[in-house]
Amino acid sequence: MKRFLALLGAFIAFATVLPAAQAQEKPSVIRIAVPNAGTGGRPLTTGLLATLHQTGAFEEEFKKDGIQVKWVFFPSAGPGVNEAFANGLVDFSGHGDLPLIVGRATGLKHHIIASYGRGGNQYLVVPSDSPAKSLADLKGKRLAVFKGTAGQLTLNRVLSRAGFSEKDFKVVNMDNDTTKAALATKDIDGTISTAPFDLEARGVARILETYVDDPTLTSPNTFWVSEEFEKKYPQIVQRVVTRLYRTAAWAGDEKNRDAQFQIWAKAGSTPYIDFKRSWDGQLLKDRLSPLLDEYYVAAIKKAIGEAKDFKLTRREVPIEGWIETKYQEVALKELGLQTYWAAWPAGGKTNSTSTAAR
Amino acid sequence: MAGHAAAATPSTEQLQKEVEELKAAVQLLRQELAASRPKPVVAGNPPLSAEHVTVAPQTPTPASTAPQGDYATKADIDGIRGDLENYKYEQTRNRETKTALTTRGTTIGGTVAVRASYFNPATTGSSTPGAKARETSFDIASAQLNLSGSLYRDYAEGRNLTYRLALAYAQNVNSGLTTTAQSSGSQLNLTDAYLDYSFFPTTTGLEEDRLTVRFGQQQIPFGLEAQTSEELRPVINNAQFVNALGVGTRQIGVVFRGDFDSYVDYGFNYRAPLIEYAFGVFNGNGPNKADDNSAKDFIGRLAFTLPVDYNSVFRELKLGVSYLKGTGNLTRTVGTTTTTVASNNFTRRGFDLYYNHNPYGITYEYADGETDTLAGATGSGKTTIKSRGQYVTLYYQWGEQFLRSYRGQAKYDDWWPKTYQAFLRYDLFDPNTAVGNDQVKVATLGLNVFFAETTKLQLNLLRTFYQDPSMKNSTAVLAQFQYGF
Repeated sequence: MKRFLALLGAFIAFATVLPAAQAQEKPSVIRIAVPNAGTGGRPLTTGLLATLHQTGAFEEEFKKDGIQVKWVFFPSAGPGVNEAFANGLVDFSGHGDLPLIVGRATGLKHHIIASYGRGGNQYLVVPSDSPAKSLADLKGKRLAVFKGTAGQLTLNRVLSRAGFSEKDFKVVNMDNDTTKAALATKDIDGTISTAPFDLEARGVARILETYVDDPTLTSPNTFWVSEEFEKKYPQIVQRVVTRLYRTAAWAGDEKNRDAQFQIWAKAGSTPYIDFKRSWDGQLLKDRLSPLLDEYYVAAIKKAIGEAKDFKLTRREVPIEGWIETKYQEVALKELGLQTYWAAWPAGGKTNSTSTAAR
Repeated sequence: MAGHAAAATPSTEQLQKEVEELKAAVQLLRQELAASRPKPVVAGNPPLSAEHVTVAPQTPTPASTAPQGDYATKADIDGIRGDLENYKYEQTRNRETKTALTTRGTTIGGTVAVRASYFNPATTGSSTPGAKARETSFDIASAQLNLSGSLYRDYAEGRNLTYRLALAYAQNVNSGLTTTAQSSGSQLNLTDAYLDYSFFPTTTGLEEDRLTVRFGQQQIPFGLEAQTSEELRPVINNAQFVNALGVGTRQIGVVFRGDFDSYVDYGFNYRAPLIEYAFGVFNGNGPNKADDNSAKDFIGRLAFTLPVDYNSVFRELKLGVSYLKGTGNLTRTVGTTTTTVASNNFTRRGFDLYYNHNPYGITYEYADGETDTLAGATGSGKTTIKSRGQYVTLYYQWGEQFLRSYRGQAKYDDWWPKTYQAFLRYDLFDPNTAVGNDQVKVATLGLNVFFAETTKLQLNLLRTFYQDPSMKNSTAVLAQFQYGF
């Protein structure tokens, strides 16, 4: 009887410990969140995440291990990703600065392991018949922004630079599709957009001001992993990062410019021709840089301060221990890409210019 | 001439040479054309190593805005124009002949519940008194149809005027006054008929205070359970006090609802109004009737939600109180004549607690009532009956049915997060606190399976305990499909 009980105890211990030990080795699924979606609620996106998704980069990486890669696209953007992550449904995700910072401020546990894009033009757009000649002419008027997303921080930077704050306008909350419709119906007086050319072509809106690739107005995108996943599967995290950097190198090759724009245009939010126009004169390698360089760290620090100053977050966000560069270092060395991307200084590389009404 | 012509004619060798040169030129042009065309989308994966990456030049290659590759001909453009015109015609034609049109933008919705039941002991409830008791039965437990929409849409600020009209099927229930067989017909009763108007802007954002007025026939704002719609209530049957105290019935009147000082966490699109309030006045004699006196019923509700972040353990912790005061008629019937002999004053008080922290949650509700009733068989003397009820529900769910962002993720197919919700409810009601042995307790164990966007299977095992020793405790098993459209 004693032997039986000992065997039973050992079996239970084995049965309990073995699955746990196996779980440490590899997950059955990797869940990757994308903080946007294609028009009409299609599971598509743009940028480097789209290139990773549509070329099946991660799927190929983990095929031999039998690990499923599950992409989840959130039309509710960065705040939607935060909600899903708070409920334990996300392992990796892309994020713009504001929802990333607010999530961290409220206790979400993740580590920043890569970037996936930076810079780009911003446009202040108004209805086509708007009499406004500058941002100042819109004071007291209705500006649309998708609140809680990186777009809100960008809007606040634009307003702040001109000496205004959200209080000087009626800032209304709209997602990107609704904003386009509201410009057409003239229910808003302005918005900040990254590619308004389709609206311009339809005669719905016009560009009032253009902010050309200005690093003081934009902030790099962030790719993070949940601390829980990282703790369990650090080797998987390394493979994800290495694959991301490998794909980013391919994406940064000018030979692949048109191919990528075609991939991104499938999302429907920005037509192919608009990608050509808004990315004109900007190196893919710069725009799609995954580096966690001085510029990245400085930009996130700056965004944290701005989010607090603009009263978009209630708490301090400690940056210490948040950015984990060891995966980047291994990936660059393994791929022989140590010099492929130029590390930017804290202030950013691009000379920015803003143009007034065209 | 002939000799001159012969001299000008190229030899076969010369012609062959020219043909070869032309071939080479064509080949060269083809190569140049191919090189200038955009690369096709790469199927599969990017290069696997750095050696395969062609480093771009140091200076950017300006993307030319000039078209590359093939040009569209006039015939191509005419073809596209033709397709576009055909599409426009088809859309117009279909809209006119194959689409339901309304004067104003209208949403048609509804819910239907089909149920299978088992009772032990067998029951005759809701049936003809002469009928045999039944152990098992099938029912259409509910069928509702509603229309809602906008009467005036304020695009600029969202001070919208909206409406709702709802009809509900009601089974013919025998009143017990007759032993005739039930008719096979059913009734369709008006449940909701009201207008809603938002006084405050609703487009600015989550941080704005809200205030609406609802005018017409509507559910009154008492407690939690009475206000929860069928599709969101976990339990098949209402808590006992909801029907017994009359707080679940529709009334005709006007109710103001609003909130202020919301705690907004835009990082999660989370909004927690510090204070929610509702105040209303209505006839008090129920739906689909003319008022039967000049006195009006008054209701008030206040709820407080803890102002914390979405990621806090205290998210969605809400405490509420409700109060209802009304006046009705007390009547006596002598022969065929019914006469009002006194006024019936009544009050209802409620307290509720709601905590929903996915994947688990708890709701607790307490309500009591004081209701005047006629004392004795004659005269207008009155006595007051005090009633009391309370329930607690604990639930746990596996799945993402109640996570808005995850449920709303982008998908090509008709995907929906399959979700299982298990719950346990304990419900107690004492219809008259002055009388002993009349309490009824109902314990319910249930499982809800959400297997499509608006469809769920509900399984409830109920055990009813009667304090009255003359009543036999009973068991019921209810299985119900509820679908919305």
